[in-house]
Amino acid sequence: MTAPATRRHFLQRAGAGFGTLALQSLLGGEGLLSARPPHVAPRAKAVIFLFMYGGPSHVDLFDPKPALTKWQGKPIPVWKTEDAFMGGKTKNVAMASPYRFAKHGQAGIDMAETFPQLARHADSLCVIRSMHAESNNHGPALFQMNTGFIQAGRPSMGSWVTYGLGSESANLPAFVVMLDHQGAPVNGALNWSNGFMPAAYQGVPFRGSGEPIAYLTPPKHIARDRQRARLDLLKRWNGEFAAAHPAESDLAARIESYELAFRMQMSATECTDLSREPEAVRRRYGLDEKVTSHFGRNCLLARRLVERGVRFVQLYSGGNEGPRAWDAHDDLKKNHDLHCAETDGPIAALLDDLKASGLLDTTLVVWGGEFGRSPVAENGKGRDHHPKGFTMWLAGGGIRGGLIHGATDEFGYAAVDRPVSVPDLHATLLHQLGLDHEALTYRHSGRDFRLTDVSGRVLTEILA
Amino acid sequence: MSGAFHRLTLAAALSLGAGLSSWGEEALPPKVARLFTKAESHWAYQPLADAPLPELTAAAESSVRDGIDRFILARLAAAGLSLSPEADRATYIRRVTLDLTGLPPSPEEVAAFVADPSDRAHERLVDRLLASPHYGERWGRHWLDLARYADSSGFHNDLDRPHAWKYRDYVIRSFNEDKPYGRFVAEQLAGDEVEGASEETLIATGFCRNGPSNDDNMGKTPAALAQYRADQLDDVISTASTVFLGVTIGCARCHDHKTDAFTARDYYSLLAIFNGTQKYGLVPGTEDAKGKKVPTDRAVQIQALVETSPQVPPTQVMRRGLASELGEEVPPAVPAVLARTVAPAPAFPAPAADAKTSGRRLALARWIASPDNALAWRVLANRVWQHHFGTGLVATPGDFGFTGEEPTHPELLDHLARHLVENGGRLKSLHKRIVLSATYRQSSAHREAAAAVDPANALLWRMNLRRMEAEVIRDGILAASGKLNRQPGGPGIKPRLRPDLIPASQRNKWPAIAQENDSHWRRSVYIYAKRQLLMPMLELFDAPTTTDSCAARAESVVPTQALVLMNDEFVEEQAGYLARRAVAEAGDDPERAVRRLLALALSAEPAGDRVDEARRFVEARTAETGDRLAALTDLAHVVYNSSDFLYIR
Repeated sequence: MTAPATRRHFLQRAGAGFGTLALQSLLGGEGLLSARPPHVAPRAKAVIFLFMYGGPSHVDLFDPKPALTKWQGKPIPVWKTEDAFMGGKTKNVAMASPYRFAKHGQAGIDMAETFPQLARHADSLCVIRSMHAESNNHGPALFQMNTGFIQAGRPSMGSWVTYGLGSESANLPAFVVMLDHQGAPVNGALNWSNGFMPAAYQGVPFRGSGEPIAYLTPPKHIARDRQRARLDLLKRWNGEFAAAHPAESDLAARIESYELAFRMQMSATECTDLSREPEAVRRRYGLDEKVTSHFGRNCLLARRLVERGVRFVQLYSGGNEGPRAWDAHDDLKKNHDLHCAETDGPIAALLDDLKASGLLDTTLVVWGGEFGRSPVAENGKGRDHHPKGFTMWLAGGGIRGGLIHGATDEFGYAAVDRPVSVPDLHATLLHQLGLDHEALTYRHSGRDFRLTDVSGRVLTEILA
Repeated sequence: MSGAFHRLTLAAALSLGAGLSSWGEEALPPKVARLFTKAESHWAYQPLADAPLPELTAAAESSVRDGIDRFILARLAAAGLSLSPEADRATYIRRVTLDLTGLPPSPEEVAAFVADPSDRAHERLVDRLLASPHYGERWGRHWLDLARYADSSGFHNDLDRPHAWKYRDYVIRSFNEDKPYGRFVAEQLAGDEVEGASEETLIATGFCRNGPSNDDNMGKTPAALAQYRADQLDDVISTASTVFLGVTIGCARCHDHKTDAFTARDYYSLLAIFNGTQKYGLVPGTEDAKGKKVPTDRAVQIQALVETSPQVPPTQVMRRGLASELGEEVPPAVPAVLARTVAPAPAFPAPAADAKTSGRRLALARWIASPDNALAWRVLANRVWQHHFGTGLVATPGDFGFTGEEPTHPELLDHLARHLVENGGRLKSLHKRIVLSATYRQSSAHREAAAAVDPANALLWRMNLRRMEAEVIRDGILAASGKLNRQPGGPGIKPRLRPDLIPASQRNKWPAIAQENDSHWRRSVYIYAKRQLLMPMLELFDAPTTTDSCAARAESVVPTQALVLMNDEFVEEQAGYLARRAVAEAGDDPERAVRRLLALALSAEPAGDRVDEARRFVEARTAETGDRLAALTDLAHVVYNSSDFLYIR
């Protein structure tokens, strides 16, 4: 990490975004997290990224391919041996989808029967059927979707957004990550890493049960009044130390950081306390049903976090790997039955609430995984990793709903019509938040880095 | 797997024809040619200046303790400034002890130094610290940041690297031995080629193996493996070039460097130097070249990068960095612009008939550390200065190129670099000069008038106030509580994490520990660096993420730091131990226990009303709860969280 040599140096070099130091909130000290003006008028204030880790199958969920039924059991002409990640287990034999599709909403958006509840939001979704990514391997593909690069070490999109816009919340982190009940995806915390940026920009894992943020609460025997007594003396001493070193703004920021931490103990706990949510809400998010309780809780939390000014919330469905994620190598139907059931109701409930409160207008919801799945069969009834064409959908945040954008070929093998790269998606996401992906740069190791590196195009045709 | 790599690259090279048209220097594209011209006058590429020590006015003259001070004083005088007065002895000994060993001095060491009437007291102190084995643990840690050291592979499986710690211990030993820099460079880049190659020097090549890797999960096709090998070599040469030369040649992998005079051809010529290497020492659990899982007992007990043949496969430019898009063949070479401006290019002759390796990496290492290579010595001298003062004379220590910062004191930088060259590349004598200088010995106190002229303290009119680095905080807490276990070396330790953090990394899992003990209370440099799950206490205080070389840590302030220091069981428990220690050493008298506690944490009793305030706090808490030890624990906890403890004055 060559930048920043010092905070001061960092600020000197960080460019225009930091011209407004006078406005710095006390949150991050030196204004690392102070709210900053966007480059262009924003359409969205927050992002909820529903990360379907493992690779949900586009041809079984949003991109119906009758040709796969027609060619069932036969080789398809487009498939190449080297497309298989799993080597010999994946054979060039087309596999028909086990699911029935129907058209939903006025726009007639195709959706599989696995999404009975999401279907009612069809006219809010912009379904991009022409996504493509660079790696057919979870680790690098996760890195690309999260950081724009298939190698480790780059800042994640939530870090870029926080770096670009600062934090809107005085009591909560700006970038929050919530994991599946199965645990973290591969790459672990590197998926929400600040990379070469300061740690202030990393995603803060937020747990749906127990302690929401690591080290949020003191050991059990330390009562709140005892902690307060300590903090009162600490505040006095740190104040004296800061007064003796008036040039060091860090010292004042430290004092405030303790007060914020103290408040965060209340506010984060308050935010995760769902006991006061009405019974009807708990039911809609499926909190009391085993299959939906975890993801439902995270969706409800995501809503509450966004309501409280959190900028970027990433929710993972699927953890660990294999069948515990959307990684349906062996039995696609069994896998997707489960993961769709876990997520369908909660996502629909989240969209319901965001619509009802009007927050969907300023909240960009993104759904998708790191890649899609092969049109040909693995082990007879599973599907292999496949990055050459897959589906993601966007909703809210100034995106046109009831739209299908782009297409794969007749087998769902490759994006052929209006292909959308991961950098295109990132550029669009930043644009909706008011950030110009070409202007949002960070100097490291002798060059200016971008989330979108040297490419990326804002998908103006899907903007409302 | 390395054997498979070897064959692969050859096959790839033979089957794919050259594509990029070749161009010699005379045919440089105009943009590159302009950058080459610019390089000829670039400050970092000039020979080391031998400027006479600046003349000073009589007033300034009286402040001088070392030639170093003359360079600082001359710049200060020109700005109408002067050095601050010398820090008091208690402040100085805490500063220099933390700086050279990463551990605080004991109150007894402080008292003895303060009372030492000798005018050589400072020098004797510094000699003792430089001879301490803790010096290597402290300064070796700085090197481990550069070497992106970790104990796991990162990526998908975050595999254990059971022998990585041997490199960490090698680095610590090398600093303690005051190893000549040239030898240190050669061992790390070419430990299999150096004179007297041994297990120790092979371990040193762990430098080239520390980066993240994905050996067991990078796909199985030849194309994927060829690309993976290219990516792994990229990690080596990008790291080595920024660490040893302060150049960012990694940027030239896909295209000619946009802002520096490095071409893609330079990049691949550097790659050619490493292109005969293979990974040596397999990781248990991964697959070898034949696709068999490596059992633990068959794995070589070190992690190295070596050549096993003098023949190196041909190296070709890869367009856009893609192993599948090969261009012209390139010979091994150091970057052309550096050969032209910095030091004459080394020869890479065909290996002798009886050679065991190509000798290319050794030639590179010798070129880097040759007395002529002003760039490399400047980079090193700057790193030494940076860690003593918080900021280098060049504020971008990993980038001495056109877009890096220029030195604030170019003549001083050259003066320091010359000192290193003249002293065989040993660091300790330079440390000694710096920490005994008047510049280093000044107070860090604020001066309004000077701050008005130079608010950033770029001219060093005072010592910089610095926050302890992550490891120093944890080690300092343990040193004060008396629980620090000073045992050096060996496999990484895994202290307690809150159990709900552990699922954040599913592979190579961190153990759940109910209670920490002596075995966990070792210095933080010995903590197992797991890429997918760094210790929050270290990570939040800006310890490097280990994915690439870290030349300068940030010094951030975030609320999650406060959470961890406020709430971590470690801090709570150690505060309890510090309270008990204070009582045990001071006896039952309440005020003496308070005084002892403060002295143990801060190395000396604080001035002013702090003691009184602390005593009143403990009395009030005791009155409230009836538990004096708990009240002292509260005090200890406050001190551990205080800026007085965490900032080095």
